Order: sequence, then C-alpha cells, then structure tokens
Amino acid sequence: MGATDVAADRATPSVVCSGLDIVYTVFGAKQKGTDTGGELPLVERLLARRNPVSSVRKVHAVKDVSFVVNHGEAVGIIGRNGSGKSTLLRAIAGLMPPTNGRVWAAGRPSLLGVNAVLLTGLTGAKNVMIGGLALGLTPAQVRERYAAIVDFSGIGDFVDLPMSAYSSGMGARLRFAISTAAAPDILMIDEALATGDAEFQARSRDRIAEIRREASTVFLVSHSNAAIRDSCDRVLWMEQGRLVMDGPTDEVVRAYEQSHRKATA
Amino acid sequence: MTIGTSGSSTAVEGAAAPESSFEPIRLTPDEAAALARGAGLEELGVRPGLTGYVREVWGYRHLVWHLSSAQAWATNQNNYLGQLWAVLNPLLLVGSYYLIFGLLLKTRGGTSNYIAFLTIGIFVFGYSASAIIAGSRAVVGQVGLVRALRFPRAVLPISVTLTQFLVNVPAFAVLMVMIPLTGEPFSPHWLLFPVALVLQSLINLGLAFFLARLVNAARDSANLVPVGVRLARYVSGVFFSIPHYAGHGLLSALLLYQPLAVSMTTAREALMDQYPLTWGSWVAAALWGVVLCASGLVFFWRGEGRYGSN
Repeated sequence: MGATDVAADRATPSVVCSGLDIVYTVFGAKQKGTDTGGELPLVERLLARRNPVSSVRKVHAVKDVSFVVNHGEAVGIIGRNGSGKSTLLRAIAGLMPPTNGRVWAAGRPSLLGVNAVLLTGLTGAKNVMIGGLALGLTPAQVRERYAAIVDFSGIGDFVDLPMSAYSSGMGARLRFAISTAAAPDILMIDEALATGDAEFQARSRDRIAEIRREASTVFLVSHSNAAIRDSCDRVLWMEQGRLVMDGPTDEVVRAYEQSHRKATA
Repeated sequence: MTIGTSGSSTAVEGAAAPESSFEPIRLTPDEAAALARGAGLEELGVRPGLTGYVREVWGYRHLVWHLSSAQAWATNQNNYLGQLWAVLNPLLLVGSYYLIFGLLLKTRGGTSNYIAFLTIGIFVFGYSASAIIAGSRAVVGQVGLVRALRFPRAVLPISVTLTQFLVNVPAFAVLMVMIPLTGEPFSPHWLLFPVALVLQSLINLGLAFFLARLVNAARDSANLVPVGVRLARYVSGVFFSIPHYAGHGLLSALLLYQPLAVSMTTAREALMDQYPLTWGSWVAAALWGVVLCASGLVFFWRGEGRYGSN
C-alpha cells in the first residue's frame, strides 16, 4: 500500500474508539477469602470474607483503549486469554455499552462469535429467520437468501432440528453463514475460523475476503497467528485490558511471539 | 501485568522498526469526536430519541413476530404430548383449584356460576402471571441474544409478552368451549372478550417494560417477582368475589381496580351473565393499559444502552 493510499484511507475512518473502558459485573464469582478459608477456624473464616453474602465482582476488562480504523482495513486483535479481546470486540460492535470513553462506527457492525448464542431451543431454520431479521434484513430478503445460507453452512437436513442437537462445529458454521448473509459494513469475527473442518475454513476465508472487497472493515480475534497473518494487514495487541501495540501485522505478531517466548523461557 | 508489559517493551526494542510507529495513538475526546463527525460515523452505545426509538422498534416488528411465534411453539416441544400440554395444563389447574376452593374451602360466595368464575380467573390471571414473570427476565434471560445481535432492546419485553399471549391462546380457546358448558347463555357480549385480552396485554406489556429494566439493573429483584405474583394471585379475586368478601369500602375498591383484578373483571363482564358490563371497569382497564404501556416504554427506553452490560 503506497503512501497516497494510506493518506486516502486516513480520510475515511470506519471505526473510531476513544478512551474506551469496559467494566462489567460477574455474578457467582468465588470470593478470594473462601479459598484459604478451609484452614481457618469457623469465626475467622467468616471474618476473613470481606463480603460474605455477595458473590459479585467487577471485572475491568478493557482499559483506556483508543484507535482509529479505516474502510477496507482488516484488523487482527491478539493477546493472551483474558486480555480483553472479545470484550473489546463486543464494545465496538455496539453490544456492550462503554463504561467510559466513546465508540463511533460507520453503518452496521455485525459480530460473529462462536460464543454468540442463538436460540438453542429453536430449529436452525427459525434461527436463520430470526438472525437475519435481527441483522436488519426484511423477511423477504431472508427467504431469498435462505437457501444460500443453509447451503453455505453445509448442515443439510439438520436445519429442521433444534440447534441443541447440533455439534459445536455445525452451530458455528450456521452462525457464520447467518452473520455474513447480510453483508455487514463492519464484520467482526471472534475465533470463528478455528472451528469447522479445513474445507469450511477455506470457504470462510474466501467469504471474508469477499466482504473486504466490498470496502467493508473486518476485525478478527484469534489465537492462531497463522490465521491473523493470512487475513489481516494490521494488528492490535491487547495485554491485561490495555492496548500495547498497534501496527502492521508482521511486526506486531513478531513482537508478540517474542514476548511469549520470553515469558515461557 | 508486569510480566506482559516488560516482555513487550523488550520485544519492541528487538524489532527492526522504531517503537514510536507502533504505539497506540493518543486521541483526546474532542479530537476523536471531530474525526468521527467528519467521517459521518454513528456513536454506539448511546440511546436514540424517544420517537426515533419507537420508529426503530417498529422497524423490527417482523423480528418480534418471528421470535415470539417460534418461542411460543418451542415452549411445549420438550414433551411427548407436545402442544397438547398448552390445553391440559390449565384444565388440570382448574381441577385442582376447584377441589381446594370450590369444595374444601368454599370461597364461592356471591357467585352464581362458580366454575365459570374460577376458570376465567385462572386462565386470565395465568396469562398475566406468566407474562410478568417472563417479562421480568426478558433482558437478563436472553443475554446471549443481547450480546450477539444489535437491535432496540424493547423488542425483548414486547416479544416475551406476545410469546406468553400465544402460549395462552389454546387456554383461551378451552375457556370459550367451557363457558357454554357451565350453563352460561350465549351473548353478543362475548365478542368483547378479545378486547378485554388486548387491554390486559397492554397492562402486561407495561409491567414487563418496568420489570425488565429493574431486573437488569438489580438482578436480585428477579427473585421478588414470583413472590409478588403469588401475592397478587391471592388478593386479585382469582377464586373469590372481592365485593362479597371485602365489602364496598375503600379497600375493596383498591383491590378491584388494581390492574390485574381489573383484567379479570372485564373478562367476567364479557363472558358471564351474572356480571353486566360496567363503564368503570372497562375504562379502568383501558387507562391502566395505556398509562402502564406508555410510561413503561419511556422507563425502558431510558435504560437503553445499558442492557447487556452485566
């Protein structure tokens, strides 16, 4: 990409994220005091718990993250487990409200995650309709694309069974097919490429490339550095909720791998 | 934390390119806002104006319908008898209530057709009870959907209320078969029964709006909702006539004109010969429906942008 291209891209951001903080509440979390409590006598054990009734904890998952992404960019987000990648993705998809800071986006962001639950009690066919409508399609548009969606997912006759009967790979494939049916302005993919067989992975890579050609923006969260190198030209590296590096794929992934080696050595 | 950052800084020093070019950018809030405005971007996680919100919800009416009908159908799919349970459950409930209140406790005072009185009470109140309990969990019960897809969240309480209405349609059909069997004479007033159900649905939807936001903000309150519904079941005149037992004073009026009791009164006035139509109960039902629904929508809308944060 030449310098002029970069300058032209700079003029048309598709996502602006400024000072983003996300704090969310977890219910049913285990209190620290209870871990060591077994060794203490009863009274001390009760006193050791700062908050004996509640098991609620605040998680500060994303801390002061700022970046600007332009139209046509494919951005990878890397980092260790629990570094806030998925939460960041949810926030820029407009699914988790920011605690502090602001996020702007062009058009309709669509998040595709293997964890994104559709309605497991309903059949695949009903989920195609509901997912399509929630993505902003009309019922007629969903019916028109229905065959293509089911075809792409490759789940065949299973489409008439409840999704609770699907294997995890089948569910992920159907979700991918639904999420990409609406040709979103911004596509966000959370680990989706890690599931499915090799043939489906190849097909989904093609589909992502197709969406990118339509001048949209793609975000990809993955633990597979190969997948990131394949599909992304820019990488954000998250560490403990903070954005530590933001740059071209090769350099950032190399730095990330080196830090990894140092940490394990 | 320390391990990660120290590792990264040494890694950057080892890389060929200068560190500064890969540092995350620093944007002041004003710079970011100006940049976003210049590119015509839309801010996420902020709540639209009320009329814009209502228009947005209307745009998702197809989603409401498909979500509700699919979930209503799925409600009874996990049994061998399937949809038959939608009819069997209320009948069994009527049988057990008749045994307890009609035969053992004898709360039939002031009613000429106790079976019709009791059946209407159970079926109509049952709809409100299930709509309120499901409505209170409309957002927290579907966090997966909320975190996966972006749509105005008012779709959820509306769809839950509609789901409960659809789930109860077989019960209402059973009711229409049972009423003449209990000896009620045919009457054109029966045509008002659907109107009573519409007014009741508005009341239920309004309560669902309020409770869905409250439970999302303070999750523990979800445990109080079934308690409240149980209490309401015993004071709303499901199986006894309020004026007969509470007299005609202020207490009786309060008990009679609270939204859940009013829904049963209008249904009984539509279906039972003993209760002639009165303006008071129908106007009260309509007022409750409109006021609760409108204020509930505003209340729910004011929380938009916070749903799904915990």
